[in-house]
Amino acid sequence: MSPISRGFHGRRRDADPARVPPGQYVTPDFPVLSAGPTPHTPLERWSLQIDGAVDAPLRWTWEEFLALPAEPVTVDIHCVTKWSKLETSWVGVSLETLLDGVATEAAYVTAWSDGGYTTNVPLEDLTGGRAWVVHEYDGAPLEPEHGGPARLLVPHLYFWKSAKWLRGLTLTLADEPGFWETAGYHNHGDPWREQRYWND
Amino acid sequence: MWRTATVREVIAESRSARTLALDVPGWPGHRAGQHLDLRLTAEDGYQAQRSYSVASAPELERLEITVEVVEDGEVSPYLAAEVRPGDQFEVRGPIGGHFTWSADEGGPVLLVAGGSGLVPLMAMLRHRAARASDAAMNVLISARSPEEALYRAELAELEGAAGLEVIWTWTRSAPQDWTGARGRVDGPLLEAAGFGDPSAVRCFACGPTPFVEHVLDLLVAGGYATAQIHAERFGPTGT
Amino acid sequence: MNDLHLDGNGVAWLLDQITGAEATTTLRTCQACGDRRALGEHRAYRGAGVVLRCPSCQKVAVCIGIQGDHLTVRWHGTLRVPLPPQDAAPA
Repeated sequence: MSPISRGFHGRRRDADPARVPPGQYVTPDFPVLSAGPTPHTPLERWSLQIDGAVDAPLRWTWEEFLALPAEPVTVDIHCVTKWSKLETSWVGVSLETLLDGVATEAAYVTAWSDGGYTTNVPLEDLTGGRAWVVHEYDGAPLEPEHGGPARLLVPHLYFWKSAKWLRGLTLTLADEPGFWETAGYHNHGDPWREQRYWND
Repeated sequence: MWRTATVREVIAESRSARTLALDVPGWPGHRAGQHLDLRLTAEDGYQAQRSYSVASAPELERLEITVEVVEDGEVSPYLAAEVRPGDQFEVRGPIGGHFTWSADEGGPVLLVAGGSGLVPLMAMLRHRAARASDAAMNVLISARSPEEALYRAELAELEGAAGLEVIWTWTRSAPQDWTGARGRVDGPLLEAAGFGDPSAVRCFACGPTPFVEHVLDLLVAGGYATAQIHAERFGPTGT
Repeated sequence: MNDLHLDGNGVAWLLDQITGAEATTTLRTCQACGDRRALGEHRAYRGAGVVLRCPSCQKVAVCIGIQGDHLTVRWHGTLRVPLPPQDAAPA
């Protein structure tokens, strides 16, 4: 039994329990977590692509990406390290828009990033208005430490699935566990079912 | 394993830092430079954990840590402003063998501290004094201002000892009538703090990551081999 | 540019669980660049778990999943683990 530290509360915030998945606490901060150093790809060399098990790969330069129809997105986000942040505001391009016209038999997607990070998501988790590639956070261009210039946003899964520094989505026929999934984290990662670790 | 720590005394070190003197039954002892993990538990069971360097010499009977307030921090404002004698939390350790110095290892030793990076190096200086060691030791300390500097009076006292030199540089404001160094640590200042020939010198650099990276670059440029340099980076994280 | 990394000293307790000893002094030879550096010198990043990267080439050295009652460890490169003289294993 740990002794209670008198007067310690932390920086947690009270919140509507219906919005807080099991085992999470709400923070006013936006902790910066990363598997490696922040990449700094110059925008003139940046591109986003959709490839893999598709008839024809797609590729956008930064200008082309910014010209795509974007929308504001306000969502709660949940990190497997137990913090949740409510009402985060982003601007980005929905996966519906990006995948429009893409013919595929793939059921899975590997998101891959500058710096070598990967994460895997079932294709159906990226559709139905549940995922975006975002380039703005809180009214300003997405900062590098939070994944700028663009990151994946899949708020209904633990936030390690929202790959920072996104450069591509590879559609795959077989599921390919990514960086944290091959280090014991849950393959799917639904915070509402507390799917943190591989055997959960 | 976690051990219960009871606060015995709280000592103001600077405008933004306090030293907590702890009783930790069962503490196995430590080497100068090591740290401990500290865990707080709220009434509803919520826990937060951070690492702190041990500030006290291994020879001292009670364990001391010095906590600097990190603005908007989760743990440091509690430890540096709220905690009172009698309060309890848990500690685990000692931890870390790479960043340690024992008087048996002798000198010459160059210590380079940025802000609260001085804490583990102070443990080394206190250990050196406790053992009445004459190992040559120079400490270069970069601090923002006298109001935020740690251990100034104690360092001034230690400085009289044979073989010990203390060099301060101030990055924001210096003490009145200051005639010494100002500004960031640079090549010439590091050279002045050294012993001439770098080849036999062990270096310990500690502070925020950008400070440590900067000092490492300077040390390598100044002829120190990486094998001679031990670094410990402080940062805004807890595992 | 501030990378927010720490070093192996900052995750020493985790490493000690893996190697069973004073991990920060353990030498690791990098599979990518061949440099041999102490784990305490490796750069440590905190994501879902902890990643240690080679201080020379920045490639991933160790990936540690922190999962409640256990760690999952993905290891690259080789470690040099000294044995006490009386325990030296016969070839």
